[in-house]
Amino acid sequence: MTKQRRFVEPALLGSVFVIATSGLVYELVSGTLASYVLGDSVTQFSLVIGLYLFAMGLGSYLSQFLEGRLIDRFVEIELGVALVGGLSAPLLFRTYAVQGAFRPLLYGLVVITGTLVGLEIPLLLRLLKFSLDMKELVARVLGLDYVGALVASLLFPTLLLPHLGIHQTSLLFGFLNAAVAFATTFLFPIERERLVRLRVECVLVLMLLGSGFFVVTRFVDRFEAQYFGAPIVYSMQSPYQRVVVTQSPRQTRLFLNGQLQFSSDDEYRYHEVLVHPAVAALGREPRRALVLGGGDGLAVRELLRYPSIEHIDLVDLDPAVTDTFRSLPLAKALNLGSLDDPRVTVRNMDAYKFLEEPGTAVDLALVDFPDPGNYAVGKLYTDTFYRLLRERVGVRGVVVVQATSPQYARESYWCVVTTMEAAGFVTAPFHAYVPSFGEWGFILAGAEGTAPPTALRIDPSQLKYLDAAVLPSLFSFPRDLGRVEAPVNRLNDQALVATYTREWAVWTR
Amino acid sequence: MQRRAFLSAVAGGWVASSVLPDRRPVHGRIMGASHSVGHALRGNDARPAALNPADIDAALPGREIAAPAPFPDRTDVLIVGGGASGLSAAWRLAALGVESVVCELEPFVGGTSTYGTAGASAHPWGAHYLAAPNPEARAALRLLREMGVVTGWDAAGRPMFDGRHLCHAPEERLFYAGEWWQGLVPVDALTADEREEMRRFRSIADEWTTRIGSDGRPAFDIPVRLSSKDPDVLALDRRSFAEWLTANRFTSPFVRWYVRYAVLDDYGGEPETISAWAGLHYFAARKLKSQELLGSHFLVWPEGNGRLIRELCERSQANVYTNALVTSLTEERGSVRATVLNAYTGERRTIEARAAVLAIPAFVASKITRIGGAPWPKRTASPWVVANLHTGWPANPDLPWDSVLFDAKGLGYVHAQHQQTVVTEQPVVTYYRAYGDADVAGARQSLLAKPWIALAEEIIADLMPAHPHIRDEVERMDIMVWGHAMPRPEPGFLGSDPFAGSPLISERIAWAHVDQAGIALFEEAQDRGVRAAEAVAPLVGKDPGETWL
Ligand SMILES: Cc1cc2nc3c(=O)[nH]c(=O)nc-3n(C[C@H](O)[C@H](O)[C@H](O)COP(=O)(O)OP(=O)(O)OC[C@H]3O[C@@H](n4cnc5c(N)ncnc54)[C@H](O)[C@@H]3O)c2cc1C
Repeated sequence: MTKQRRFVEPALLGSVFVIATSGLVYELVSGTLASYVLGDSVTQFSLVIGLYLFAMGLGSYLSQFLEGRLIDRFVEIELGVALVGGLSAPLLFRTYAVQGAFRPLLYGLVVITGTLVGLEIPLLLRLLKFSLDMKELVARVLGLDYVGALVASLLFPTLLLPHLGIHQTSLLFGFLNAAVAFATTFLFPIERERLVRLRVECVLVLMLLGSGFFVVTRFVDRFEAQYFGAPIVYSMQSPYQRVVVTQSPRQTRLFLNGQLQFSSDDEYRYHEVLVHPAVAALGREPRRALVLGGGDGLAVRELLRYPSIEHIDLVDLDPAVTDTFRSLPLAKALNLGSLDDPRVTVRNMDAYKFLEEPGTAVDLALVDFPDPGNYAVGKLYTDTFYRLLRERVGVRGVVVVQATSPQYARESYWCVVTTMEAAGFVTAPFHAYVPSFGEWGFILAGAEGTAPPTALRIDPSQLKYLDAAVLPSLFSFPRDLGRVEAPVNRLNDQALVATYTREWAVWTR
Repeated sequence: MQRRAFLSAVAGGWVASSVLPDRRPVHGRIMGASHSVGHALRGNDARPAALNPADIDAALPGREIAAPAPFPDRTDVLIVGGGASGLSAAWRLAALGVESVVCELEPFVGGTSTYGTAGASAHPWGAHYLAAPNPEARAALRLLREMGVVTGWDAAGRPMFDGRHLCHAPEERLFYAGEWWQGLVPVDALTADEREEMRRFRSIADEWTTRIGSDGRPAFDIPVRLSSKDPDVLALDRRSFAEWLTANRFTSPFVRWYVRYAVLDDYGGEPETISAWAGLHYFAARKLKSQELLGSHFLVWPEGNGRLIRELCERSQANVYTNALVTSLTEERGSVRATVLNAYTGERRTIEARAAVLAIPAFVASKITRIGGAPWPKRTASPWVVANLHTGWPANPDLPWDSVLFDAKGLGYVHAQHQQTVVTEQPVVTYYRAYGDADVAGARQSLLAKPWIALAEEIIADLMPAHPHIRDEVERMDIMVWGHAMPRPEPGFLGSDPFAGSPLISERIAWAHVDQAGIALFEEAQDRGVRAAEAVAPLVGKDPGETWL
């Protein structure tokens, strides 16, 4: 008997440590998730911490009403913490992805975990009071509790989050909690029939969390999250590409096939530059516009700043992209709901097909395709494509094309310029610095007489980057970005794809 | 046995394949050039049983079969054969305002340039590309101009093309030494000797491309009748291409494979069985060089040259009668009379015309006309197998048009949806295999005797090295056996008086078929068809005016 005692005490104190650590981990997981998804990390963390502490207090208070079979209660509460805390991250993510009630679930989970953890320490004190004297007991238990918290707060940002990711961290600690519960059933004398039931429960929970630990890597890929540098809040595989939206406290980012499309903290530079110089070059009020690619609705948002706009056709092949940017709250906050504007028609079709079909002439065409990294996208950068485009804008229209980076892929950029000229456009190449991308290249084009614009057609107070002083500077190229000789990109050889792949390989190696 | 029930018997292939253990059943059937009906010509009077309409329907899924209209009694010009040659004649005659009727024995038009539409995409059943034609192939260029594929002519008189129809990059890849390489020559995998030999071969081919014969004509041209008669050039026709290659020290395995692949693809013959003249013609007859053709110079469509067939039909508004087998053609008192068997109903009918164009191979034409002294060249026809594989492959933006396997039995496969601007899942690919050795009769017999399952297994085995899971990836495989696919330009095929002669084989009958040229190319078929039409037009009182040739 004494022998067993001697063994029980350190074991129970060990479980105090685990409980304390995991309690804080759940708190951190919730806080991190909330700030990823809802932004404003200060508010989110204070709310989560406040609620959690309050719930712990609630739990401690409620513990007085627990009577009899304390060991059973303790095991069951442990299992409850394991389940709720362990599954909290995957559950919250899933809810966010399907646009469920994220906030109520978040706060609900915080309160439940807090309450359960709050119940545990008083229960433990009561379990241990027979073996230790009060003074010693309180000192040891509370001491361990705070040490556990310190360990958790050190491990979480340094080891857990970067290496396991948020899902596996939360599942791992759930698993540890359940293991403590399981171990407890061996340490205390429990009646046989209850013992079997409790152990079965423990094993079930352990299995659930354990398998979750391995499965979760599949459904939200940890490596992928590492690759994207931030947690993925939305991802889907369409027939054409993999669409991924990531969210970190600072920024929302969109990736198509792993290629960054925009980052919320500097996309305004990109989209202002894409849209406003072209409108300025038009020399008249823009009425009808065409956006090819750009299913994120951000270019459309800029266009809609002009009251004269009557109609915009947005042609993007992939309904997965346009649907995401119509419904995901995070995305709508960025494009200001531009895709639902009555003046905008979204067409999910091949841009080639769209241009081949007869249609009314447009004042402006904004071409915003992914970079020409494979032969399918490369087709949208050929002389044939630009000929069709030229027919659509007629002699009075203006075109602007995103054309990769003249810094990282200088020959590729000028290859697009050469190709557009071969298709009969007069071009005015320009570039801008977008921190997420580096120095980025665009091409303004139109009929004879197309030239860099000298004045904006929009009040710069509506913009964040462009103004009258910046505008002309975009059109001058420093020597190391300047024009180089490049071939015409034709459908039947697609010189651009090879050039682009070669040039970017140097930077991504 | 009057006719082998190709169409139905072979559906048994499916049953067999599903019974065999451990085999995922790939479905499919043999389609087919109706050898059975053609064989009715052997014993001229033997009346074949009517084709079962259900079989016909299944023959080319997706291609509509018009209800058999009653054949007309008379017309101005009767065209026998609805392949590229016959339809080109109809196209030319329509432009002259001459009424014509086309009789085609198969339930579908197009001959060896026909196509299918079943499944995810239209696909070729025969000819699959047209190389950018030489400026001399004027009929072909005219058709392309009408279609908008040729957009005009540049200052140097060269045709310019709409880039949408030129084969999009990437054009081809080769499975060599266990991996795919872009292009047909895996330069980095070759030995220095092989590379050097390849370079030497190319430079000799380039020399021949620009060589002008003693009569001022290019050594090789398309149409072939415009090639030089310089005896030094013609001398090449006296030996096999293999002999020429060996004599010129082209002996490395890669170069021999490369050359063999090329000539099998165009002529259905191996270097051992074709003339050296034809072999060099393949590498030296295409002269069109321009900036826009620095990439691929192949014009391709999902249905292959079936696109050209469709355009010819549309443009000529041809009166085409399918299931119409002409069993005899005679000329008497200023008119021609044809006996036509309705393969659908078994009925015979006589059509009277003022002139006729025979747009069928020499071995059939000689049988149905019996015109004494007609200059039928002796042609050996290579057998081919064409299969359309409906795959379950995922979308791959970088899948090329043509995928070739080094040292395989077949010529690889082409991807029907390649020219689409959107990447497609589950591509339909068309597999080709030519039987190029000397024993064509043996090859033909064994092919025609094989059930679907045997042919399908051979194709699967042939693709297996590059696609280990092909058996599980193919949902459906239909197979066409072409017993007499195309003339093979054997040594001596040019004859003693090459490129000579009128298309007229008698007063009122002209002959137009790739057999005349001895080289099976679309440009030749068009050239022959248009020439025959212009030769018969005066016989029905129409001045052809300026020639289209
Ligand atoms: C597998 C294959 C691949 C090829 N690939 C290419 C290619 O990529 N590019 C290219 O240019 N060429 C290619 N060819 C060559 C092709 O044969 C020619 O381009 C062209 O289609 C030949 O046309 P034709 O009209 O001269 O002959 P055919 O196609 O032989 O047409 C003759 C027609 O006459 C019909 N017929 C025969 N006898 C009778 C009768 N008694 N009564 C009524 N009708 C009759 C036949 O059914 C047939 O439809 C290929 C051929 C094959 C078989």
